Amino acid sequence: MSQLILFNITNGLIIGAFYALMAIGLSLILNLSGVINFAHGGFLVIGGYLAYTLTPYLGFWGALLVAPFLTAIIGFVVERLLIRHLYGRDPLYSLLLTFGLAFIIEDATRQIWGAQGLPVSVPAALSSPLSYEFFFITGYRMFMVATVAIVVGLLFVLLRYTRIGVRIRAGTLDLDTVAALGVNVRALRSLNFAVGIFLAGLAGVLAGGQLGLEPTMGDGLLMPSFIAIIVGGVGSLTGTLLGGLLIGVASGLTAVIFPSASEAVVYVMMAVVLLVRPRGLLGEEGMMT
Amino acid sequence: MSKDLNGRSIQRRTILKAGLAIGTMQVVSPFVVRALGDEPVKIGLDNPLTGTYAAVGKNELIGCQLAVDQLNAKSGILGRKIELLIEDSTSGDAGTAVQKARKLIERDNVDFLVGNVNSALAQAMAQVSNEKGVLHIVPGGHTDGITGTNCKWNVFRVCNTTRMEANAVSSLLFKTYGKKWHFITPDYAFGHTLYQGCEADLKQLGGTVTGNELTPLGTTDFSAYLIKARAANPDVLIVLVQGNDMVNCLKQIAQFGIDKQIHVAGTQQELEPVEAMPPEARVGVWMFEWYWKQAAGTPGLDQFVAEIRKRNDGKVPTARTWFGYVTIHAYALACEKAKSIEAKAVARTLADMELPPEVKLQPNKVYFRGGDHQLMLSAFIGELLQKGDGDPENLFKVSDIVAGDSIAPSVAETGCKMDMPA
Repeated sequence: MSQLILFNITNGLIIGAFYALMAIGLSLILNLSGVINFAHGGFLVIGGYLAYTLTPYLGFWGALLVAPFLTAIIGFVVERLLIRHLYGRDPLYSLLLTFGLAFIIEDATRQIWGAQGLPVSVPAALSSPLSYEFFFITGYRMFMVATVAIVVGLLFVLLRYTRIGVRIRAGTLDLDTVAALGVNVRALRSLNFAVGIFLAGLAGVLAGGQLGLEPTMGDGLLMPSFIAIIVGGVGSLTGTLLGGLLIGVASGLTAVIFPSASEAVVYVMMAVVLLVRPRGLLGEEGMMT
Repeated sequence: MSKDLNGRSIQRRTILKAGLAIGTMQVVSPFVVRALGDEPVKIGLDNPLTGTYAAVGKNELIGCQLAVDQLNAKSGILGRKIELLIEDSTSGDAGTAVQKARKLIERDNVDFLVGNVNSALAQAMAQVSNEKGVLHIVPGGHTDGITGTNCKWNVFRVCNTTRMEANAVSSLLFKTYGKKWHFITPDYAFGHTLYQGCEADLKQLGGTVTGNELTPLGTTDFSAYLIKARAANPDVLIVLVQGNDMVNCLKQIAQFGIDKQIHVAGTQQELEPVEAMPPEARVGVWMFEWYWKQAAGTPGLDQFVAEIRKRNDGKVPTARTWFGYVTIHAYALACEKAKSIEAKAVARTLADMELPPEVKLQPNKVYFRGGDHQLMLSAFIGELLQKGDGDPENLFKVSDIVAGDSIAPSVAETGCKMDMPA
């Protein structure tokens, strides 16, 4: 039993790392632009499918590098054409827009790549378990965790030490003042949105190796990511990271004790956090209002 | 060709109005008269075109369309053209499915309702069709109740029941793989009845269940369940999840190397998810409800495969395509035999009707059982192939084709009490 629990904590951290990658992208966009991006799962799907299309030409590694950038460009265009018009309005507007976008992306994917799922193999070097005992730790899953760690690390460095990063963080706290100081808020928001979508695209490429690539694959991953943000605390990227890891471990542990509640437990966690500490574990006071 | 009547009925109504208002326009009136005289037989398809079941829903649609075109190229049904009206039921929203069923019946006046892939949606639609007295065939929803405890005089089913699926493979798995089974089951109506069937069979054979992991529909990560399953040390890991969940589960089983330590198998398997898996995930013994590669000389099979390939970018028909095809042809045959499209007359004829070779496209007798309106279709049992044998889409090696009535529980066991109105 204790081995089972240890296995599931480790396993939960692996899954949690993936949720965190999704959630941090969502969180970036939410913090600076106040947009609850329901189309995030759609962008994940675009990333996955682009990688599938590019793999025959660039190989897995090439696709892994290029597909998220292409997804980010699509995200940038969408932000310029559609989303920016709704800044400053009630968040409900952008929520409805991105909700509709999610459907459009799903159907467009179905039109372009077909309704049936597509087979994706991971490189042979990564496709087997590292040991017989710890069979659930495969090369690919380790690679996923490492990728998430590197990308999230880079993002934190970018936000902490670069001029753009400082502006994004400042904008999160008080956008009006940042604008008054002469920062081009329009460009800042577009760039920030594109970075968020880049993370979604990357998550899509990584997910393609683990999950079936099909037009609705983003749906099941979106909700845990929202919950990661709420549990971790709106406004805090560290909190989001922590939230992602926590819900991964919680659902893994519940699967040992009471399997059919492994999905419900993340919602229970969210409810408890909202009741006891509405701002989330590391959230700033007042960010939820 | 099929048309969405939504657009068309408005068009005709506009023409009618114009005709009445102007009155003198001789060009219009002959058209109106002809349209009323040649009122087509209307078939309403209320099936998923979006969401998780979009791929299988689309294949059922292609099968329906082929049958409609074939019939229309001859003399339709009783000399009347067939019109196929298509609605998207969504993959999981019973409210939408019911609303679309009502729209097809009340507004479009369809003579015959078809749907649904999703068991829950199929049952909800059956309530509506029964209330309205419209003949209804469920092409692809498997939960037992549809032709069991919830059976209805107007509702027929083409695909297997979950109990038939369990019975088809249980004894083979027991004999070849061992007696300790661990299950990964989808946590909804379909999964529950399928698990109960397998468990009952296993107990009868003298085996034991080491555990049953109930997984929510749409589960993306199965690792926690797989860790538990392996710790229980069973002889066989039985995967009952379907569709994309099946793709995810088998993909992860293959990556974890579990298929090399425990036998992996299941009941129902379909070509759609198998094609969406990478080769290494295509493992285990399964049953297909229909398979395109059969012994040479199966009447009508080659032609059917060729026709579907022509319509679907070269892709072969799946069990779903066949469900759609059989549904329309069975209805047409029953109408011709009853010399009527009146629901009760057609239902009475369809009960106990045997399908001819060019429709059933398989060996064994295939017929609707009068007692519960369940089609007795064969089960194709065999093993998945990692690489296509002779054709990239030939991914299943059929070892046995078992007659449907040999695996179906008796009508009394299904719990169906058919209430045929006079």
